[in-house]
Amino acid sequence: MKPAASILLLTTLTGFAYGLLAWLGLYGAAGASESADTLVLAGIGIVLALATLGLIASALHLGRKERAWRAMSQWRSSWLSREGLAALLTYPIVLGYAWAQYRAAGSLGTRLLGGIAALAALSTVYCTAMIYASLKPIRQWHNPHTAPDYLIYALFSGATLLALLRTIVFGTAGIAAVLAAFGALCALVAKLAYWRHVDAQGPLATLASAIGLPKDTTARPLDAPHFSENFILREMGFQIARRHARKLRRIALALGFGLPLLLSVLASLGVLPLLSTSLAVACAALGLLTERWLFFAQATHVAALYYGRRI
Amino acid sequence: MTMVANRPPGARQLGLVIDLDTCVGCHACAVNCKEWNTGGEAARLPDYDPYGTEPDGVWFNRIHSYETGTDGSARTVNFPRSCLHCENPLCVTVCPTGASFKRADDGIVLINTDICIGCKLCSWACPYGAREFDETNGVMRKCTLCVDRIYDETLPEAEREPACVATCPAKARHFGDLADPQSKVSQLVRDRGGVDLLEDLGYRPTNKYLPPRQAQIPSPAREAPARSGSGLGTALLKLLDKALSR
Repeated sequence: MKPAASILLLTTLTGFAYGLLAWLGLYGAAGASESADTLVLAGIGIVLALATLGLIASALHLGRKERAWRAMSQWRSSWLSREGLAALLTYPIVLGYAWAQYRAAGSLGTRLLGGIAALAALSTVYCTAMIYASLKPIRQWHNPHTAPDYLIYALFSGATLLALLRTIVFGTAGIAAVLAAFGALCALVAKLAYWRHVDAQGPLATLASAIGLPKDTTARPLDAPHFSENFILREMGFQIARRHARKLRRIALALGFGLPLLLSVLASLGVLPLLSTSLAVACAALGLLTERWLFFAQATHVAALYYGRRI
Repeated sequence: MTMVANRPPGARQLGLVIDLDTCVGCHACAVNCKEWNTGGEAARLPDYDPYGTEPDGVWFNRIHSYETGTDGSARTVNFPRSCLHCENPLCVTVCPTGASFKRADDGIVLINTDICIGCKLCSWACPYGAREFDETNGVMRKCTLCVDRIYDETLPEAEREPACVATCPAKARHFGDLADPQSKVSQLVRDRGGVDLLEDLGYRPTNKYLPPRQAQIPSPAREAPARSGSGLGTALLKLLDKALSR
C-alpha cells in the first residue's frame, strides 16, 4: 500500500497527542492536585495542537477537502466516520477537563472528566486502528495485532511526551520516565510480534482464485490491460525492496523503541533529564514515522494479484 | 446510510455473467464502457496524458490476459475485471459519507459523486480493484452497470443493457437478474458452473464468471515420431534413439 505522507503524519501525530491525553486524563482521574495545573494545562495545549495538526494533515489527503464534514455521518458502519466523530467529540471533553482542573483540581467532577478524556483519547486511537484492521483484502492490517498495537504505540509516544513535559515543569521526569521506558519495551515486543505474525502468513489468495479458477492452477500474466501505471498499481501495488525493508525495520526498532527505552531509563535515574527526555521524544517520533511507513509499504493488497504482483 | 440496506425479499439483483471460455480479449467492452460513461449522465471519465508517454485515466473495466495450466493443458484466459456489485460490499460499509451505496431494489452499487470526499478508503476495501480515483474531480468512480442506460425508456428495449454487454462481439457478457433463479443468466450460471471470484473473502459477488471449458481435443506432449522403414539409415537412427533414450 502506498505510504501517503498525510496519513503517516496523521496517525503518528494523533498517536502522540491522544497518548499524552490518555496519561493526562488518567492523572486527573487519579486526583491530580493544584500543583499539577501547569503540567495538565500545558499538556492539553500540546494535545490540541498536535491533534489539530494531524487532522489537518488527514484532510489534505482528501480529493474534496471542502466536503470533509460529510465524513461524520456514517458512524453506524464506517470506522473512518467513527474516527472523525471521536476526534471531534474529544475537543469539548478536553476543554471541559482543562477548565475543571483549573477551577477545581482533585474534585470528583474533575476526576470524572479526566477519566472521560482518557477514554475519549483511547477510543479515537482505537477507531483509527480499526480503519486498517477492518480491511479484509490486506492481510498485514486485517489481523489481531493492528488495534492493540496502535494503542500501545500511542500510549508509549504519549508517555515520552509526558516525561519531557514533566521535566520542563518540575525539573525531573519522575514516574513519567518509568512509564515511557515501560511503554517502549511493550512497543518493541508488540512490533516484533507483529512482524513475526505477518512474515509467517501465507498470501490471502492466488492469481488463479482471483480469476475464478481452482486455487492451485498455475496462472501467470500474459498481457496487462495497460502499459503504464494506473491508480490501482500506484495505490495498491506499492513495492519495496526487501533489503531496504530489513534495514528500515532495524532503524524503526532502534530509533523508535530501543533508544527511547534507554533514554527514558537514564531520565528516570536522573541523568540529564531534560536532554534525555527531549531526545527520547525526537527518536520516538522519527522511529514511529519509519514504523508507520513500513506498516503501509509492506502491506499488500489482494487486487495487486491481477497484475501478477506477490501479495 | 452507508450500511447495506435490508433488501426486500424477492428484490432483483442485477449483474453480469462473464464467459471466460468465449472471451477473446478484444477490449471492446472496455472501450465501449469508456465511451458510454465519458459521455453519459455521470461526469466525464478523465484521461491524463492520453497521447503522451505515460497515458493513464479512469476505466471501469479492464481486460487482463493470463496463461494458465502447463505444457499440454496451457491456454490463454482473457479476464475482464470490473465491479461485481457484491451482496456484501465492504466498499459501501467503510464509506464515511454515505456516498457509496447499494440500491435496495436492484442491488447496483453506486457512488454519489456529489457527496464523495475522495478519501479512497473504498478502493482499499475492494479486493477486486474495481474502484478508481478520478483526479480531475477529486472523487472515486466505478462501474454503474450503465444505470443511465438500462432504465432509459427512450432507448429501444433491446439496447437497454450495459454498454459492455451490448458491444461484446463474442457474446461473452450476459446481463440479467441473478436473484431470479429462472432468469437466463441464472440458468447459464447453473449450466456452466459459474463461480464467485475470491469466494473465501466473503464479499458474495453478484457477477459470476463461467470457467473455461476443458479442451475437447487432447493435446498430449509430443512423443518421438515412430520410426518405420528399413535400411542402414533407419537402423542407425533406431540405435541412436535407443542410446539417447537410455
